[in-house]
Amino acid sequence: MSLPQVKVSPLQAGLVLGFGSALVQAYFKVIPPVAYGVCMVCHPKDLFNWIADHLLHLNWGYSLASTNWPLLTVVGVVLGALVAAHQHGELHLRSARQPLFYFINGFLMINFGLILGACPIRIVLLSAYGNWLGIIGWVCVVIGVLVGTWALRWVAARTVERSELA
Amino acid sequence: MIASIATLILGFVIGYLGQRSRLCFVSGYRDFMLTHDTTLLKGVGGAFIGALGGFVLFSLLGSGILGFPMVLQTSMLTRSALIITIVSALGVGIVGALSGGCPYRMHVLAAEGKKTYWVYLLGFYAGLVFYNVATVHFMDMIKTVLK
Repeated sequence: MSLPQVKVSPLQAGLVLGFGSALVQAYFKVIPPVAYGVCMVCHPKDLFNWIADHLLHLNWGYSLASTNWPLLTVVGVVLGALVAAHQHGELHLRSARQPLFYFINGFLMINFGLILGACPIRIVLLSAYGNWLGIIGWVCVVIGVLVGTWALRWVAARTVERSELA
Repeated sequence: MIASIATLILGFVIGYLGQRSRLCFVSGYRDFMLTHDTTLLKGVGGAFIGALGGFVLFSLLGSGILGFPMVLQTSMLTRSALIITIVSALGVGIVGALSGGCPYRMHVLAAEGKKTYWVYLLGFYAGLVFYNVATVHFMDMIKTVLK
């Protein structure tokens, strides 16, 4: 039996994500804080800290939305992506490249994200909510991506120059 | 418990759609800068429009959209909040561009079996422990200094 092949555009996925995040805030008590329906740094922190608090009594903070039960967005995302990859034959183990570089990037990303109080998704949701810090943060995220991309291009150009000289 | 189940279901849906669409909230800006490709950027725009539409609709229906829209609330715009937001958001953007995607995209890629992103997530969750142990206290100190 062949499984159905699903095609989705980023626009459609974005619309579902945005509307879904408003829906869970409105009817499923994913609040406070506001515009908290999807966040890929705050929800993992809530889940991790909720477990640490309940198992080890570490008293690490989590949002009021996670007071009784933790938010499981990150578990859902991994399970959903796993099912989609398996269904479409895209689930393959591939070896790691530049492990130290990616480890440090992950380390820095969650620290900057938690200081900001948002991931690149929640900053869009906060902007849609009309939060000024969200709007300013969104602009700065875009500027940061442009700076990072420019740095990558510069490094790539230098590498090409050096290989041509050698 | 209702919030846990709702976020698990929403997470599953957006994880599934994210794997099928390559939706990413960092690559959209990067692709537009490098090649003027707007495919992924439309996903970011879609999330904004979807969220805005949802917030407007549910606030009109009178359900749980507190204080919307917040554009008239400027009391949060303190000097310390502005500095912290600008620096950390620039950091998120730069690190996102260097690693090639947002944390959402990284979780999706890890679920596809790419061990590079398993290592990223190892650093991500190690960073979470570091945040709880050190960064949170450091930020309290910074906020006191900036007041």
